[in-house]
Amino acid sequence: MGETTYSTDPEWADVTPIELDDGSNSSVMPLASIAYPPEYLEATSYLRAVMAANEMSERALKLTEAVISMNPAHYTVWIYRAKILFALNKDLNEELDWLNDVSLKYLKNYQIWHHRQVLLSSKPHFPTIPAKETTFLMEMFAQDSKNYHVWTYRHWLVRHFKLWDSPQELQDVEYLLKADIRNNSAWNHRYMLRFGPRDTDSPDAGMVNAGDIEKMPSEKGRLTVVDEEMVDAELKFAQEAILRAPENMSPWSYAKGVLRAAGRGLEEWEGFAGKFVEGGGVKSSHAVEWLACVVAERGEKEEAVRLFGMLEEVDPIRKNYWGYRIKSVEAAA
Amino acid sequence: MAILGPGRATSSPAGDELHTSKHVAYIKNLDTRRDELEYWLTEHLRLNGVYWGLTALHTLGHPNTLPRDQTIDFVLSCQNDSGGFGAAPGHDAHMLYTVSAVQILVTIDAVDELEKRGRGGKQKVGSFIANLQNADGSFMGDQWGETDTRFLYGALNALSLLRLLGLVDVPSAVAHIQRCKNLDGAYGIRPGAESHAGQVFTCIGALAIAGRLDLVDKDRLGAWLSERQIESGGFNGRPEKLADACYSWWVGSSLAMIDRLHWIDGKKLAAFVLQCQDPDAGGFADRPGNMVDVYHTHFSLAGLSLLKFNGLEEIDPVYCMPKAITARCLAGTSRLWVDGNPYGNPYGEYLPPE
Repeated sequence: MGETTYSTDPEWADVTPIELDDGSNSSVMPLASIAYPPEYLEATSYLRAVMAANEMSERALKLTEAVISMNPAHYTVWIYRAKILFALNKDLNEELDWLNDVSLKYLKNYQIWHHRQVLLSSKPHFPTIPAKETTFLMEMFAQDSKNYHVWTYRHWLVRHFKLWDSPQELQDVEYLLKADIRNNSAWNHRYMLRFGPRDTDSPDAGMVNAGDIEKMPSEKGRLTVVDEEMVDAELKFAQEAILRAPENMSPWSYAKGVLRAAGRGLEEWEGFAGKFVEGGGVKSSHAVEWLACVVAERGEKEEAVRLFGMLEEVDPIRKNYWGYRIKSVEAAA
Repeated sequence: MAILGPGRATSSPAGDELHTSKHVAYIKNLDTRRDELEYWLTEHLRLNGVYWGLTALHTLGHPNTLPRDQTIDFVLSCQNDSGGFGAAPGHDAHMLYTVSAVQILVTIDAVDELEKRGRGGKQKVGSFIANLQNADGSFMGDQWGETDTRFLYGALNALSLLRLLGLVDVPSAVAHIQRCKNLDGAYGIRPGAESHAGQVFTCIGALAIAGRLDLVDKDRLGAWLSERQIESGGFNGRPEKLADACYSWWVGSSLAMIDRLHWIDGKKLAAFVLQCQDPDAGGFADRPGNMVDVYHTHFSLAGLSLLKFNGLEEIDPVYCMPKAITARCLAGTSRLWVDGNPYGNPYGEYLPPE
């Protein structure tokens, strides 16, 4: 924070700051009155004044920056800032550059990401995705490759600019999975790129048909038109990931989603999953579970019970869950 | 009320003792630390902080520790003319603080103060919330337009407590939740976003209030949730992430709502959570060895309460409030769970407008 104060700055002489009324003057001391440092208190008192007057000016814009730099979680200031930017027809690319720095400084803040979404939603300013956008997102992922806000924003970006088939999207996902094959966020993004709903006339969903109460559970995530070649390639991709880290849940879960999208059954992976259970040792609990589901579906109860029993041994923390699976198999007609 | 610190959680095995009196003192003293820098940095969480502290005190069996009159004064001082509540006096109204305000007033049995001294009574609060619903069923946090399943859950939570659920379109909210469901059987913050245990709680809690838990694939979701328990005994919020004490609540309550809490190892979970407490100065941290805060204190205690930990008051997994209080508040409504029937209302009914 600099030396200047708003009360002594001639640029602000015409503004009467609005002090915070936090109820401290009432007879009872409020339970949670707040001790503010003077700089913040002063800046926000001027902020209240210009917001009350709905002032759209350069100085107000600067003031929002000052307040954000002291407290980016101040949720109201962001709304006001966005309004000013549009009212003054500011260069939004400059705003993005500034925002990039703020984002890298406050990794956990989420107001920043909604602000970014508000800016990029403006079709006149951004008819297509800004050139540096994905580069910046990868900078964010270099700090935290599972940052939930950034991934959620990226998902919005894909849908807004219809980027499902953009080579950059898949390239970045592959880069991140190469760095960390256990990055479940990247797996989720891959699924949405390949199999997520693309109809922008109806609301978005985590799977096709997910929001349709009429559809049977088995129809959720199931595509009507299937590119079998792409499906095969995705299954191969998942298998390679599993071979690198058999106990990693994400590619197993992904493969289930892929098979469901294509309307294909789990049994086509019976041989693959079997490789992780050979010779008595269990190299992947997910493989055992996969096999158990396949044999249970075929009605081979005894084998299914044996396999779930193995899971009770290797995964004792969830033994009640596996016990439940065994009971369900035994109870099935 | 301060949010963070000052103590640290022990990093050595803590045994199985819960340091109740230390935690009570910790929460009580939060309000006396106004000279600390941290205090104003977390100003945007102030009203939430009161809800966390108050509910934690109830869970600990010390419900009358905070002065009731001052609590009411503070809550009402956060209300805007729109009927909604801000994080602190002078702050703009937002869904999250409005929900905390309602939860606090219900907990201390002071909802009638809204009519007496509030700005427009509970109907106005309900309208503020209802106006934040979008055409697709989702809810915004404020007029700025950000959507999050937390806001949807909060809306249903507060409106049902106020018996004003009829002000919003519950079926379309339910449809939105359905669209947040992912291929792994769990739910995210918005449609298409990665599954996250905190968001699972909000989605399942909302479905519970809407009486639509019949739409949940309980076995599949239960499997995903129980998979959140890792070797240390604690829960993570997403695959391959670190354990955090607050997930004992987000994961545990979700499992409880779908009647699958016994699928995890409760003993190991409790042991992990107890390691996150500061045995000397009180409070809980996210992980052993880290700084304590009131958020993790509340959700750790709530998690332990779900596990029926000795001496803790029973907490309602849907509302994250003492069960005795939600039972009193919702008595006489069509909510089946009030009378002990677990969370499966097969008829999908919701509260009619009053």
